[in-house]
Amino acid sequence: MDLLEYQVKEWFDQMGIPVLPSQRIDHPTDLKRLNINYPLVLKSQVHADDRVKAGGVRIVETTIDAIATAQNIFNLPILGEFPEVLLAESKYDAQKEFYLAIVLDTALCRPVLLGCKEANIDWESPGEKMQYVVVEQEFSSFYARRLTLKMGLQGALMQSVSDIVEKMYELFIQKDLDLVEINPLAVNGSGQVMVLNGKVRVNERAINRHPEIAEMAAKMIGRHKNSKVNGIFDDWDGAEIQGEIGILANGTGSVLTTLDAVFNAGGKPGMSLNLRHSFLTDTKPTTFCDRLEKGLKILAADNTIKVILINFLGTIPDVTQMSEVIANFIQIDPQELTSYLSNGSKPKTNKLPKLVIRLAGVDFDDARKYLATLADENEQPIVVENLDEAVKLAVDLAKLQKIEKSKLEDKKQKTKGRK
Amino acid sequence: MNLKSDSKVLIQGFGEFISATHIAQMKAYGTNLVAGVAPGSGGKYKYDLPVFDLVEEVILKFGQIDTTIICVHPYQVLDAALEAIASNIRQIIIISAGVPPLDMVTLLRKTETHEILVVGPNSPGIIVPGKILLGTQPSEFYTPGSVGIVSRSSTLTYEVAWELTKAGLGQSISVSIGSDAIVGSSFPQWLQILDEDETTEAIVLVGQPGGEGEEIAAQYIAEAIDKPVIAYIAGKHAPASKYWHQKGNVATVVKRDPNFGSTKSKLTAFKAAGVPIAEHLPQIPQLLKKVMSNR
Repeated sequence: MDLLEYQVKEWFDQMGIPVLPSQRIDHPTDLKRLNINYPLVLKSQVHADDRVKAGGVRIVETTIDAIATAQNIFNLPILGEFPEVLLAESKYDAQKEFYLAIVLDTALCRPVLLGCKEANIDWESPGEKMQYVVVEQEFSSFYARRLTLKMGLQGALMQSVSDIVEKMYELFIQKDLDLVEINPLAVNGSGQVMVLNGKVRVNERAINRHPEIAEMAAKMIGRHKNSKVNGIFDDWDGAEIQGEIGILANGTGSVLTTLDAVFNAGGKPGMSLNLRHSFLTDTKPTTFCDRLEKGLKILAADNTIKVILINFLGTIPDVTQMSEVIANFIQIDPQELTSYLSNGSKPKTNKLPKLVIRLAGVDFDDARKYLATLADENEQPIVVENLDEAVKLAVDLAKLQKIEKSKLEDKKQKTKGRK
Repeated sequence: MNLKSDSKVLIQGFGEFISATHIAQMKAYGTNLVAGVAPGSGGKYKYDLPVFDLVEEVILKFGQIDTTIICVHPYQVLDAALEAIASNIRQIIIISAGVPPLDMVTLLRKTETHEILVVGPNSPGIIVPGKILLGTQPSEFYTPGSVGIVSRSSTLTYEVAWELTKAGLGQSISVSIGSDAIVGSSFPQWLQILDEDETTEAIVLVGQPGGEGEEIAAQYIAEAIDKPVIAYIAGKHAPASKYWHQKGNVATVVKRDPNFGSTKSKLTAFKAAGVPIAEHLPQIPQLLKKVMSNR
């Protein structure tokens, strides 16, 4: 989860990392009560990186100028996102600009300190300009000095920059971050350093152990219900693709194997979710059956999905409740699914997707028997033990649904024609 | 690695990922489960196991413990593991999923320098079919035999085992190293264990997108493994843009391939190493039979 710039700067300020005097603007009229002096910079608070190009960052000289510009920025979507707030910040006279970051490298299993004497990094080929230091053992200040010396800094500047790296690291550990970045770190004529912009990415698996971050996340999800949440939560534990067969499984590997199998059998896999973890958008602790219920509803509300293929293997937590969740789901009124739709509009179909359930393992013996009793005259839901069989059934069902739909449309066309 | 059936085993925590069925299965398999640790429940019995508040109390009562199986809430995993290490337990299997990665960094700094084996997190553990079960692997999918399985996924580990069982191929040792972003033991460590294991004749490596564990494994197989290995990588048709766990700037900085972490990059690595690749599950036993008859 990425924070907005003003939130990042609040954290930096708390850590003693130098930031400019600034004020949060919720409404253009807030600019009448400013505690900072002109000229100042107004910045749109959105997650997109290219704010500057899009016109989301402007320098203003007077109050009138500021209010008009603020109105303008509030109405300017950047990559589809409108800002909820703006940041008004003092201007800074930068002579040099650096890049600093701390990132968790999951391949090395260690945090890495990054630094560059240039702020505009070409990420395609950072080449020799980018310096890095792997924090092998417990952090100590020397790691920060090692980085700044590698960057070619000396004397007082080396000291002040490594001091910032140290504080960044403290923040990184304290808040369970995947990334903390300062870009740029400005240096003025007298050698003073100042953070002009920063980025913080919180690790999604750790959100719930920080009450204040969980609260921020809940607000963000609430606010972005109708837009793509993906921009903020950058990695669903699942695959979001457009296809007719939605997949739910109790492990990442199973999701992927099922997806491959559907593809190989000539089907089109759709949104696929791993229920083993909480969803990244869950800001409160969940149980497996909570996630199953939510997963079923998310897939059912996606009207491209014709069939939901469940693949559970081995064991799942609270297997008895699982059957009940499925029993309740098949009785649901499709109209109730509105709230799970990403665009907030009403579902176009009045039909729930068909369910194909693959259960393998002795732990599922009772569930298998119980679910078989729920089957209607069309033998829905289908419960099988073999994965290939389940995949084939799901693919056939999806094709059948398509044929039925086109027949229905043909009929409509014909009736229309008669009129 | 101590996988003898008389080695003493402890369970720390009775969280979401372990149930009465798992514990009954382990016992039925002959695993020497001696106790559970659940702070606040000391003195009680759960799943027919005596429960203690601290690991050191278990050791006072039963002597040195060989393996601990950690099933606490993911936020308590680090603490539980440190407690086990403090009590000199050398084998730690972490079942819990979703441990914050910085906790794993802290744990690995400690275990790497002390030669402690950590399996997981987000792992169903280890099974030696017919001998011992350490974790939550469903034993019904396994039969004793000579194929070793090392995998990163939980469910796929036993999905593959079942595929082998159905094709008449038994298994020697099966382990999932865990599918969280940062895990303890690596593919090469387990490939080495399986290479040295007398009952193992051939090895199946099961991978998925994310990280570079499979790429490192492919190179290691080419350099150091004598037994035949075949690979299966899930997610060939998953959206390619997804790196699952590893992404971002650091990959380009330390000059990794732009395909870093993708299924494609893993498949290329195995091809380069001359490791046969199964395209789908049923092909795994077919390939194994081929490589095993060639020997």
